[in-house]
Amino acid sequence: MNRVTFTLNGRSTVAVVDPHKRLIDLLRDTLGETGTKEGCGEGECGACTVLVDGRAVNSCLYPAPEVEGREVLTIEGLADSRGKGLSPLQQAFLDNGGTQCGFCTPGMVMAAVDLLRRNEHPTRADIQTALTGNLCRCTGYVQIFESIEAAASATNGGES
Amino acid sequence: MTTLTYQRPTSLREALETGGSDGARFVSGGTDLMVQRRSGRSGTENLVSLRRVEELAGIDWKNDQLRIGAAVPLAGIGADQRIARDFPALAQAIAALGSVQIRNVATLGGNLCNASPAADTAPALLAYEARIEIANTGGTRTVGLDEFFTGPGSTVLQPGELLTAILLDARQSAGSAFMRLGRVRMDLAIASAAALVEIEDNRCTHARVAVGAVAPTPLRLSAVEEILEGKAPDGPTLAKAQAAVDALISPISDLRASARHRRRITPVLVARALEAAISMATGDAQ
Ligand SMILES: Cc1cc2nc3c(=O)[nH]c(=O)nc-3n(C[C@H](O)[C@H](O)[C@H](O)COP(=O)(O)OP(=O)(O)OC[C@H]3O[C@@H](n4cnc5c(N)ncnc54)[C@H](O)[C@@H]3O)c2cc1C
Ligand code: FES
Ligand code: FES
Repeated sequence: MNRVTFTLNGRSTVAVVDPHKRLIDLLRDTLGETGTKEGCGEGECGACTVLVDGRAVNSCLYPAPEVEGREVLTIEGLADSRGKGLSPLQQAFLDNGGTQCGFCTPGMVMAAVDLLRRNEHPTRADIQTALTGNLCRCTGYVQIFESIEAAASATNGGES
Repeated sequence: MTTLTYQRPTSLREALETGGSDGARFVSGGTDLMVQRRSGRSGTENLVSLRRVEELAGIDWKNDQLRIGAAVPLAGIGADQRIARDFPALAQAIAALGSVQIRNVATLGGNLCNASPAADTAPALLAYEARIEIANTGGTRTVGLDEFFTGPGSTVLQPGELLTAILLDARQSAGSAFMRLGRVRMDLAIASAAALVEIEDNRCTHARVAVGAVAPTPLRLSAVEEILEGKAPDGPTLAKAQAAVDALISPISDLRASARHRRRITPVLVARALEAAISMATGDAQ
């Protein structure tokens, strides 16, 4: 067993984890943070997207012991960090029909956080490229693009 | 089989020492390895992470010589303005590889060491005549990328050896490009091609052409290069170059495409890569 110390959604976190576990196992099974979803487990669907050191990664491909000393941001951290409900980006998904069954939504939102942090006013093409690794079986994607555009046009990248 | 230990060495020496022990396996971005482990294709016991090894982490220029550390995430290489300018085919190949999430962790070292015939960065790096720096506990050596691959999934690396860096020389007057065809945006290539040319006085003075996913390894097409060198980069020359491709490749049929389809499209991809490289070298509108 490995002991890992890392920052999860702004809080210093210590966990004991099997060395062969993935970050998604650490989040969901060990720490009970079940906002992050597992779809394919192979890097194809993006449902498991979280930010590690500020970059979107597939937590299903990320070895759990690798988070030692790193900063992890999950869907739980968006609302929590504000202490008052959803982040503007999450609210934009609700307001624009960007979520239906909701399974892809945490990954979509985290991929969009990564995009908006680097590009405050993305074009439709920028958004499509940023979401290449995120599948949605419900919305047909258009409402997701519109949600992200709405959050971006509400000025500051949709996070705060 | 499960992983018994996960090590995070911070120096090359430490990585080589831990990686040289029995049952050890290097992991860089893990985007190939973690998928293989899930499907039981990898019986790894002791993972040695390369992500914190300082010697593998840099992008360094010395005049026109570029050294890319094996463990630099592809996103970092793709965002480098000078690489985009001097090695556009590499930047195009990286932009086509996987998704944002994949490129944020996947590495050049992993793409080459996994040795898929379809590895997207390989044709571009072959066209640039990349050299590969390899380290073991006894020292380092350098091999040409055209000697690195020995078959699907195999390379000249011996157990415990590390690919430490990819070495490239910029040719300032060259034009180069990468082309690929996939079923959908995020899928391995059905076929891919990269080309590099230098043109002087309407003659092609230097040509390099390579293809992917149509042979047991990514492949330089020397016979096509010979057709181009010394000739005017015009329609008839391109037609001859395109016609020579078929005899040089040995594609298979798999779930992505039939061998016959690959034989049809590869010459076209080669011609398109050459056209793009020529227009860049001659300064035509891009
Ligand atoms: C969803 C998805 C989409 C993908 N799309 C593409 C694509 O479009 N095109 C493409 O080419 N690939 C694609 N891939 C494959 C993969 O992402 C790339 O091959 C990637 O570059 C591998 O790099 P890595 O650092 O993640 O390798 P890892 O998985 O860490 O390593 C791969 C292999 O190389 C060995 N290794 C790694 N680094 C070294 C080193 N420095 N020295 C010695 N051995 C080493 C490891 O032991 C392992 O056997 C995709 C993968 C996924 C999951
Ligand atoms: S569960 Fe990680 S990409 Fe599908
Ligand atoms: S909302 Fe159901 S998969 Fe996207």
